[in-house]
Amino acid sequence: MSLFSLGLVRAIVGQILGMLTGMATTMLIRVMLGLPAWAAEPSWTVGAIFSIIGALWAVGALSDWAKWMKGEETPMHHGPPEGKPAWTRYFGVDYNHKVIGVQYTVWGIFLLLVGGTMALIFRTELAESGRQFLSLELYNNFIGMHGFIMIFAILLGIGGMANYLVPLMLGAEDMAFPRLNALGFWFNVPGSLLLLSSLFIGGWDAGWTAYPPLSARGPIGYQLFFLGVFAVGLSSIVGSLNLLVTILQMRPKGMSLFKMPIFCWAVFATSLIQLTATQLIGLSFLMVSTQRALGMGFFDPGLPGATLMTGLGDPILFQHLFWFYSHPAVYIFILPGLGIISELLPVFSRKPLFGYKWIALSSLAIAIVGFLVWGHHMFVSGYAPVLRYAFMYSSLLVAVPTGVKFFSWLGTLWGGKLTFETPMLFVLGAISVFLIGGLSGPILGTVPSDLPLHDTYFVVGHFHATMFGGFVFPFFAALYFWFPKVTGRMYNETLGKIHFAIMTPAFWVQTLGQMGVGVMGMRRRIADYDPTLGGGSIEAWQLSITIAGFLIGFGVLLMLWNFFQSAEVGVLAGDNPWRSRSPEWQIPSPIPEHSFASPMVVHGEPYDYGLPEPYVAFAAAGDD
Amino acid sequence: MQNNTRHFAAIGVLVVIFTFVVFWILDAVLKFPLAASTQAGPIDSLIQGHLWIIAFLFSLVVVIAIYSLFLFRRREGDTEEGQYIHGNTTLEILWTALPMVVVIAFGYWSTVVLVDITQRPDNEIIVNAEGYQWGWNFSLPNSDAVTQELVLPVDTPIRMDLTSKDVLHNFWVPEFRVKQDIVPGRTTYLRFTPTIEGEYRLICSELCGLNHTGMIAPVRVVSQDEFAAFWNQDVQTASSK
Repeated sequence: MSLFSLGLVRAIVGQILGMLTGMATTMLIRVMLGLPAWAAEPSWTVGAIFSIIGALWAVGALSDWAKWMKGEETPMHHGPPEGKPAWTRYFGVDYNHKVIGVQYTVWGIFLLLVGGTMALIFRTELAESGRQFLSLELYNNFIGMHGFIMIFAILLGIGGMANYLVPLMLGAEDMAFPRLNALGFWFNVPGSLLLLSSLFIGGWDAGWTAYPPLSARGPIGYQLFFLGVFAVGLSSIVGSLNLLVTILQMRPKGMSLFKMPIFCWAVFATSLIQLTATQLIGLSFLMVSTQRALGMGFFDPGLPGATLMTGLGDPILFQHLFWFYSHPAVYIFILPGLGIISELLPVFSRKPLFGYKWIALSSLAIAIVGFLVWGHHMFVSGYAPVLRYAFMYSSLLVAVPTGVKFFSWLGTLWGGKLTFETPMLFVLGAISVFLIGGLSGPILGTVPSDLPLHDTYFVVGHFHATMFGGFVFPFFAALYFWFPKVTGRMYNETLGKIHFAIMTPAFWVQTLGQMGVGVMGMRRRIADYDPTLGGGSIEAWQLSITIAGFLIGFGVLLMLWNFFQSAEVGVLAGDNPWRSRSPEWQIPSPIPEHSFASPMVVHGEPYDYGLPEPYVAFAAAGDD
Repeated sequence: MQNNTRHFAAIGVLVVIFTFVVFWILDAVLKFPLAASTQAGPIDSLIQGHLWIIAFLFSLVVVIAIYSLFLFRRREGDTEEGQYIHGNTTLEILWTALPMVVVIAFGYWSTVVLVDITQRPDNEIIVNAEGYQWGWNFSLPNSDAVTQELVLPVDTPIRMDLTSKDVLHNFWVPEFRVKQDIVPGRTTYLRFTPTIEGEYRLICSELCGLNHTGMIAPVRVVSQDEFAAFWNQDVQTASSK
C-alpha cells in the first residue's frame, strides 16, 4: 500500500501543487503585463485559492461530479475502499455519514489541541508580569490564531456530532446529499492548513476579529488566513444545507418535527444560522483581501501618505459585516451543545424532558434574536449613538429564551432518578459553566456597565465560559456518551470521572479569574500587564489562571488516552448501555455499514422514560 | 405534593441565604479601580444592580440543581424510572415572562444612565487627543502646543475629541470608567468629568498592532488654576524643545 493511497496525503500534496500552480499563473500573467514576475501579495493570494481546489481535486472530493459532467455513472460505494485496509477509509473521501462524522470529530479534536497549545504558550507568558519569552509579534499572532483555530475546532466538533447523530436519530440511511457531505468535510482540511501555514509567512497580528485598517496593512499571512476562513465557511454552508434538508425531508413516517430527538432541533436552529450568516464573514474578509491585493478601498479611511488608498471607505463598515456573522456564530457554537445537554439529561434522570416544545422553540428564538444583536460588539465603536439603545434592548432579549432552557433543565432534574456517570457529570458541569457565561452576559449588554468592561479580560472570561459551557463540556459529554456506540466498547469510568474532577474546578478558576482581572482594568490582547492592578493582587490571579489552563489541558489529554486505551481493551458495551430510548441505541454497536436493517417506525415520544411503549421500533423484514 | 412544599420552602430559604453570600463574595472579589469621574457613580450603581441579579439567579439555579442532585439521586437497588412529568405550561410562561420584565427594567435603567452620562453640559471644555502607533498627542483647540501628557482640570466637564493617525485605537482611563474607540478618518467624542485630583494612566484598549501593550500615556488631573498655568507655560516649553 503506497502512502498516496491515503486521501489525506494526496490532499496535502495537491494543496502544495495547487499553491505552486497558482503562483506560477500569477507570475505568468504579471510577466505578460510587463510587470516584475514576483509580487508577494497577489502570488500568495492566487496560490491559496488554487491550493484549496488542488487539495479537493487530489483527495477526490470532486471526482464524482467531474465524472457526471463527462456522462459517467458513479454508483454509490458502500463499505471500506476495495483492496485497502478498512481504517484507510477515515483518511480519504467516504460517503458514509458515520465515517464523515468521525472525520469531523477527530480533525476538530486535533485543532482543539493545536489551539489549546497556543493558549498555554501565551498563558505561560502571562503567568507573571513583565515580558519573558514571547516576542510581541508572536504574542499577537498567537492570540488571533488561538481564536480562529478554536472556531474551526468548534465548527468541526459540531459538524462531527451533527453528521454522526442526525441521520441515526431520524432513522435515515444517510444524509440527504452524501457527496456534498464529504465535500463539506474536505473543505476543512485545506482551510485549516492554510490558516496554520499563515504563521510561517509573517502571520497576522490583528486578533481573530482582524479589524481594518490594521488587517489591511499587516503581513502577508492575512491572505492565507482569509482564504482559510473562506474554505471553512463554504464547509459550513454546504454542511448546514445538507442537515436542513435531511431534517426536513428524511424523517420516518410518524415523526413530526415535535417528535424528533431534541438534538435535531438544536442542529436545525444552528444550521439555519450557518446557512444564512456565514456569507457575511466570507464577504467581510474577501473585501479586506481585495483591498490589500487590488486596492479596492472598502474600509480605507484615506489617510495622508498611504498607498493603495482611495479614501472613500469606512473601517466601521467592516465591523458591521463582521459581527453580522460573528455574533450569530456564537449561537452556532452553543446551540448544538445545549441540545446535547437537553438530550442527555432525560437519559440520566430517567424521566421525560421538561417542556420539550419550549426548549425546541427557545433554540429557534435564540437563532432569530441572534441576528438582531450584533451591534453590542460595537457599543464603543463610534457608530450612531442611537444604535446603542436599539442593540442594548435586542441583546437583553437573548436572556429570555436562554433562561427558559435553564429552568427546563432544572425541571427535568426534579423528580428524577439521577445517576452520575461521566457524560452526566459533564452535562452538569456544562450547566454550571454556561450559567457563569450566561449570567456575565447582561452586564455587557447594557451600555453603561459595558463601558468599563468592554475590551477587557472580563469579556474574555465571559465568552470562554459560554464556549466551554455551550460547546466544550457538552462536546466532551457527547464523546463519552456515544463512545460505546461508535467503538462498541466502554471507556474507563474512573479516568472519565478524574477528567471531570480536574477540568471543572480548573475551568471555574480560569473563567472567574479572567473576569476578575478584567474588572481590575486589564485590557484584552496585551502581552504584559501592570502588576499594580487590583492593589497588586493581579499576579496571583494570573498565575492561578495559567495553572488552571494547564490542568484543563491535562484533563483533555487524559480523556484522549482513555479513549485510545478503551477502544482496544474496554469492556464490550452492548447495544444500549445507557438504556436510552433514542433510535441509535436500538441498533448494534458498533453500527454496521447500513445502520438500519429494516425501516424505523415511530410509536411514541422520544423521552417517555417510565412508559413501556418504545419511541421507535423496526418493521420486521418483509413487513410493510 | 405536601412533600414538595417542604422542599420548596427549604430551597427558598437557601436561595435567599446564598444570594447574600454570593453577592458578598462578588463584591469582595471584583475590585473595580477608584471611581474618579461623575460618570462613574451611576455606572457603578448599575453594575451593583447587575451583581445582585447575578447573585440571585446564580443561587436560584445552583441551589435547585444541587438540592435535586441530593434529593433525587438513585438509591442503591432502586430500579424504578423517574416521575412521569412532561412539563408545566404555567411555569414555562412564568419563567419566560418574569425574565422579560427584569431585562426590560434593566434596559430602562441603563437608558436613563446612558442619557445622563452622555448629555452635553453647558460649560464643557474641549481637549483633542490623537492616537498613533504607538503613542498619544494631546492639544487644545486654538493652540499649536502639543504634549504627550494629558493634563485635565478637576470638576470640569471634558469633551475629548478623538482622532487617529493610522489604525483603530481606544481612549480609556479605567478610573473614569467610560471608553471610546478612535477611528481613522473621523472624529469620535467622549464626555466625562474628572472629580479627583491625581495621576492616572490612559491606555489604548483596541488592538492596534505590535506595541498595543505599551500604548499608555500619563494622565494628571489638577486644579483648574494649575490646568490654565500648564497650558500657558509648560506646554510651550515642551513643544519648543
